[in-house]
Amino acid sequence: MNYPLVFRLLGRLLMMEGALMAPSLLVALLHRGGDAPAFLFTIVLTLVCGALPGFLLKPRREDLTARDGMAVAGLSWLLLSFFGALPFVFSGAIPHLADALFESVSGFTTTGSTILRDIEGLPKGVLFWRSFTHWIGGMGVLVFTLAVLPRLSGRTAHLARAESPGPTFSKLLPKMGDTAKMLYGLYFALSLAECACLLLAGMNVYDALIHTFGTAGTGGFSNYNLSVAAFHSPLIEWIIAVFMLLFGINFAIYFHALRREAGPILHSEEMWAYLGLVAFAAVGITAAILPQYPDFFTALRYGFFQTTSIISTTGFSTADFSLWPLIARALLLLLMCTGACAGSTAGGFKMSRVLLLVKSAYRDLEHTLLPRKVSVVRMEGKSVSESTLAQLGVYMFIYLCVFLVGGILMTFDAGDLTTAFTASLTCLSNVGPGLGRVGPAENFAFFSPVSKLILSLLMLAGRLEIYPVLILFSPTVWRKT
Amino acid sequence: MRILVIGSGKMGASLAQSLIQEGHNVTVIDRSDTVIQRSQDTMDAMFIHGSGVSAATLKEADVQHADIVIAATMGDEINMLSCLTAKRLGAQYTIARIRDPEYLSTLPFLQKELSIDYAINPERATAREISRMLRFPYAGSVETFARGRVEMADFRAAEGDPVVGVPMREMYKKNKHLPQVLFCAVERGDEIIIPKGDFVIQAGDRVHVVSDVKTITQFFEALNKGSSAIKSVMIMGGGRIGYYLANMLLGMKIKVSLIEISEEKARQLSELLPGATIIQGDGTDQELLESEGLSDVHAFVPLSGRDEENLMAGFYAVQRGVKKVIVKSNRENYSAIMHNMGLDSIISTKAVACNSILRTVRTRASRSTATVERMYRLMEGKAEALEFIADPNAPYIHVPLKNLTVNKDALIAVIVREGQVQVPFGNDTIEAGDHVVAISRRPGISDLGQIVRR
Repeated sequence: MNYPLVFRLLGRLLMMEGALMAPSLLVALLHRGGDAPAFLFTIVLTLVCGALPGFLLKPRREDLTARDGMAVAGLSWLLLSFFGALPFVFSGAIPHLADALFESVSGFTTTGSTILRDIEGLPKGVLFWRSFTHWIGGMGVLVFTLAVLPRLSGRTAHLARAESPGPTFSKLLPKMGDTAKMLYGLYFALSLAECACLLLAGMNVYDALIHTFGTAGTGGFSNYNLSVAAFHSPLIEWIIAVFMLLFGINFAIYFHALRREAGPILHSEEMWAYLGLVAFAAVGITAAILPQYPDFFTALRYGFFQTTSIISTTGFSTADFSLWPLIARALLLLLMCTGACAGSTAGGFKMSRVLLLVKSAYRDLEHTLLPRKVSVVRMEGKSVSESTLAQLGVYMFIYLCVFLVGGILMTFDAGDLTTAFTASLTCLSNVGPGLGRVGPAENFAFFSPVSKLILSLLMLAGRLEIYPVLILFSPTVWRKT
Repeated sequence: MRILVIGSGKMGASLAQSLIQEGHNVTVIDRSDTVIQRSQDTMDAMFIHGSGVSAATLKEADVQHADIVIAATMGDEINMLSCLTAKRLGAQYTIARIRDPEYLSTLPFLQKELSIDYAINPERATAREISRMLRFPYAGSVETFARGRVEMADFRAAEGDPVVGVPMREMYKKNKHLPQVLFCAVERGDEIIIPKGDFVIQAGDRVHVVSDVKTITQFFEALNKGSSAIKSVMIMGGGRIGYYLANMLLGMKIKVSLIEISEEKARQLSELLPGATIIQGDGTDQELLESEGLSDVHAFVPLSGRDEENLMAGFYAVQRGVKKVIVKSNRENYSAIMHNMGLDSIISTKAVACNSILRTVRTRASRSTATVERMYRLMEGKAEALEFIADPNAPYIHVPLKNLTVNKDALIAVIVREGQVQVPFGNDTIEAGDHVVAISRRPGISDLGQIVRR
């Protein structure tokens, strides 16, 4: 590892985080909840810790290798989560470090799982920061840094690739800096649109911002114990459901829409598969839960909301789905596994991977019947190389292993298999709620501190797509170069 | 500017890298997935997998909005067709690499019919460069400015040269017999220095000087670096460069012997080049070189396809006392080592082609009228020598130089006004339409206004 370069990058990132805490400090000052000193102290601490390596280190070589880029991605998310947890601890809102860390990681990775039993009693500044981490984490901190400081290092493609969700990362514009700016521009515009809709639907500014952050990052933190159900407003539920769906679509689609290019949108197999799956699951769940609700439209509202909430890995809830029929829960579990589109802010395994695996499985099955037939797997009109498919298979295997190991480790605290394995899955997929004791009406407070740290690691692994976190355990990465 | 590079081979990749460094938005099209995978990590460009002749691929690369399209694939025909397609789809300016000698005679016609705005033949350009270097054997390389009126040449300072050990400001007081040239840049180790008044040249430095053609020649005579003309040249390797070079040299009435290893090719060459002595044999064979009179020729130019062979043959020739050795090598990063071992003249086809394309791009990129006329890169681009035409509306016009601020790492070398070349002093001014040659250590300058300010 090129230590001076890596530490300088990490330093700059910390300074960026310090700056990003400023809005929360402002909110804390406005609402006088007594949490302003905690923010002030954290900001100063973060800026100092960041400025020291950020300005003092002068690396001899400026080229970031692929390995170091990945390590930077993993380390930076660890550091950001740690410093992001400090306001919770200093303000006394979440006194234990393991709890605060879990909450901060859950925020940055846009998971939305919480260890808080009573959310509404917390100071407003702290709640604002908790949701704001969703918004930062959704599009990614490194991408944000690339947008703001384009001349950070000569080779920045690794960073964006390590952080952006999906099997491949394709630039929208020739320059990395411009691509990052474009992505954040689209992200900001969509967020603004949702916030405006929510305000028009009657929310106050603070609630509208909190829920916009939760939706845009596909996180799912709310400032009410009942989540979105607290508003008792079908209109708000529909708005949030639609925006959850939108934030689960690859941002390249919006880029093409902006440039009025219909072709790439119409031919985006991933988007159509995603929308198809949403339609299928929404119809299925609505049919299954129909007997529990007074009329069809209520059932559809709950069914559609929960479908988009889970597939986009947001995790807002309007109904306690652990009380739904088994088939509805099973469908939700399926959505938890797939996740939404690559290149969106959503987590999970990603539709494009599922689609590729399905196609390659079909091809291999066909091969057993017609052994001499030569065929290539095609995706969005382009053929996919065999090495990409092989990598994909390996990725799925590692993903499964991480999920199973996580689930097994959770059995010590969980009490039953459903709770243990859905806790592991929901954290790895960055969804938020699971089933059983971690259902939408419950929380993660009962886990032991060790389990909370393991779950935090799972969330980070899920957000960064495993490799950047996994390589930190390899001694090769830490060897000085 | 939005630039589309088709083909990411040796030349395409190096070109794309330079263009990115100059801040352009670069999109690269290549047919090989592995090349793309590898390049993606090191280059901040957009990569598209596909063929440059396919309209769909070109559209995907947003060719409609491209300011310049550069086709640099292996095939001339692909390059031509790519340029035509790109132009029809709306590209502003197209550059094609066309290197087959067969197309040479019909090139103007092809360019017009296929709407290729600029055709580059790297091998021919390299041959022309070599022939120019052979005309000025005293210098490692010679660049010309202002339609050939001004020359920039470089030489290696040796122990005992009158320029060594004298501070710049006392140079002509101590050496009254030296014709006055401008010392514009000095390469020392990995560094390039723009010499100021108290700078002292050391033995071993590579010194670049600028002046008009006559003074430069007199300067080198005074230095005793000898300028007796080259009368006979031995070329090793009968590839495209070898052929073009032999042709040019024969036109200059220089005796040419050409060594080619393949019998069939040697026969063809002897048909094409009746005036030259074609020798069939292995140019790396020292006995063959000796028996064909290596020690008697004035210059030796190894041009085989393998850099290593060229270098070894070049070192051997230097050792045998051949006056001028020009080696073709595409490995620019070794040039410092080669200089240290006595090989001063190294030429790379890639660099020649890249430089001339970059020059074109930069001229097009500059919006004001004071555009870059010519540009040369020193030491792999650590410094650049640029020629501008002064813009009549610029703030620096008609102001004595002593009242202007010149960039710390730049130098105004000469001003050419109505054919008169002058080395400027504090009271001189830049007037509208002057050709101004400047040296800058900061790459990417596209306007004289970036160097001189009020």
